[in-house]
Amino acid sequence: MFRTFLSLRYLRARKTNWIGMAGIFVAVAALVLILSIMAGFLAEHRRTLRGNLADFVIQPRYTQSVRLPNGDLIDADHDVGAMIDLIESHPKVVSAAPQLQWYGLFVPDGAKSAMERPMQDAIQLVELIGVDVEAETGTSDFAESLTREYSPKPPDGRIYSSVERVDDAEDPFAPLERSGRRTSRPGRPIIVGEQLAYLWSLRKGQEVSIITATFDDGGSLNEDAPANSRFEIVGSFRSKDNEMDQRRVYMDRAELRDFLQDSRGWSAVIVKLEDYERDKLQVREELWTQLNEAGFLGAPGDNPNEFRTWEDFRATLLAAIENEKSLMGIMLSLVLVVAGFTVFALLSMMVTEKRRDIGILTALGATSWGVMVLFLLIGLWEAVIGSALGAAVGVLGAMKIDAIERWLSSTFGFQIFNRDIYLFDHIPSEVMPIEVAKIVLGAVVSTLIFAAIPAWRASRLDPVDALRHE
Amino acid sequence: MSSEEPLFTTPDPSEPPRVPSTSGNAGGVSSPLTSSGIRRSFEVGERRLEVLHGVDMELRPGERLALMGTSGAGKTTLLNILGLLDRPTEGKVHVEGVDAWSLSPAKRAELRNRRIGFVFQFYHLLPELTALENAILPAMILFKGSEFRRRREEFEGKAHDMLVRFGLSTRLGHRPGQLSGGEQQRVAIARALLLDPPILIADEPTGNLDRGTGEKVLEILLDEQKERDVSLLLVTHDERLAKRCERVLFMEDGLIQADSSAPMPT
Repeated sequence: MFRTFLSLRYLRARKTNWIGMAGIFVAVAALVLILSIMAGFLAEHRRTLRGNLADFVIQPRYTQSVRLPNGDLIDADHDVGAMIDLIESHPKVVSAAPQLQWYGLFVPDGAKSAMERPMQDAIQLVELIGVDVEAETGTSDFAESLTREYSPKPPDGRIYSSVERVDDAEDPFAPLERSGRRTSRPGRPIIVGEQLAYLWSLRKGQEVSIITATFDDGGSLNEDAPANSRFEIVGSFRSKDNEMDQRRVYMDRAELRDFLQDSRGWSAVIVKLEDYERDKLQVREELWTQLNEAGFLGAPGDNPNEFRTWEDFRATLLAAIENEKSLMGIMLSLVLVVAGFTVFALLSMMVTEKRRDIGILTALGATSWGVMVLFLLIGLWEAVIGSALGAAVGVLGAMKIDAIERWLSSTFGFQIFNRDIYLFDHIPSEVMPIEVAKIVLGAVVSTLIFAAIPAWRASRLDPVDALRHE
Repeated sequence: MSSEEPLFTTPDPSEPPRVPSTSGNAGGVSSPLTSSGIRRSFEVGERRLEVLHGVDMELRPGERLALMGTSGAGKTTLLNILGLLDRPTEGKVHVEGVDAWSLSPAKRAELRNRRIGFVFQFYHLLPELTALENAILPAMILFKGSEFRRRREEFEGKAHDMLVRFGLSTRLGHRPGQLSGGEQQRVAIARALLLDPPILIADEPTGNLDRGTGEKVLEILLDEQKERDVSLLLVTHDERLAKRCERVLFMEDGLIQADSSAPMPT
């Protein structure tokens, strides 16, 4: 009983112990706060980096004649419907949609003015994505991106433009209705990303050119096919992924096929799962095997680019943020180690100061184990109280970080978090209870390890020495 | 450790002759505290310094025994060994017939806790605790949390009664720093008696007090001893104190040289 009683009494009576507690408090609060913000960034990046990518993107490298389970022999190259049927027959797949993807050079007002632009990225490479609106809507976030609110502020050097969203999200590629007279045939309807629109000050209804190369069925450059066509901007989208919003240009798949004079008409199949996070590995494995057996794809793993998850497209960046988070955790754990050293130093001091008390306790019948536990308990209380308060403040801070940052910025007159850099309109944070528990546990364990040394020393004190005359 | 073995069987004939302190009956069940053949040496640099050369003594039930001697005679060393704080290099200490130094450290600690009460020259109270809390410290050490909480009132009542009887009724909540030397020593006496130990060891209990205060503290100590029929071992170099005891042992050069149960030297 004396251990609990005395340890609490010593803790209360000796204010120096509070320094150790304060150290643990700061370390735990910082760890919880920073790791929550990093987790928030990671989650936010996962949301934004994904943009309009579907769960899976399947891009067969080459295809040949395929024998379906029912015995029919089909030309896989041209019959994407059979492949989609096969994918959609998987119970954990919600839907699949074909896409036709190609590349082009984007020329807004004719090549002449493009060359006059001083910006280095005056020539813009774009991805032409041909989609079937109905199938695409259920499979990727394409439809959402058409109606999403505008990004908070365009990055430095770019100006707002009057580009608007499409007239009808249900039928986004419908040609714009015009009241005025019109001399020429309208260009093919395209939907451009918001960042591209900002970059080039694009307007809805503006005509632009896209230059591309096409190939004939034999795979060689098709010199006769039209590779330069006029397009009309019918609206914009915001996928939230900056790069995608600058590079993607959506078209109706049939229109793109017509423009490219592509006989195949598709290049990828995108897939949406019921629960991507839960099932991704299993379904990928199963689908790949099935598609391989049917002859649509090579063997699983042979060519990783044939079957990718959306994360594969963003692997480097996601890994970088994850890595940054781990590094931050390690660095902040050093703060915890420093706090542990403080506890060690203060407890060592206390053991020296309390030699006489230790001798008295021994004379009164305390065992050396009891003395050790007494000092360990002092460390334990410091760790428990410090880390509990730290966790509470850290969690609260993480939840209110945006308001706190705004208040700090307005009070001290400088911007701490530049919302333009990440195009986030708030500081993201995500409190993960298990992470918090791990931090608290780590703080308690490391403090106890540091407290163990002085506690052990206390238990080895010779009571006769300790009681020697003052 | 070597001292746990019965190293000592017969007196070393090379030792100087000594007055046998008592029957020397080690392990006698009737004696609360006996020692036989206690030797204690310390390593000082390269040299080995023997402070006690084989001390036999017995504290009889209910008696007041004074241990006298010049400084450096080995009184404190002997006291630490008898109080189970210091392990003798050779010899045995029996507490109520139990060979204390052959026990496990935990058992020995319990023996110190329940069977021996200490009163030190410098009071040795814990500065962070109040007078009352200091007095119930032995019970806190003895009992685990739940048991102590159950019996806390009992011990507090007991300590409270003692402190009131010792004239500290208004000082119960005071810290040692707020108490005079005499008051602190009275708290220490209450602490020593809390668990009703059969043995009380007092090391110069009035040595740090002025004469008047010392008298009062001594009165309290002796009254309680008589009333409770506790065996008191009183270390002092004050003859007036020794005269209040029934028996006096004189120590010199690490040996007990005289026992007043033999005719007192005048």
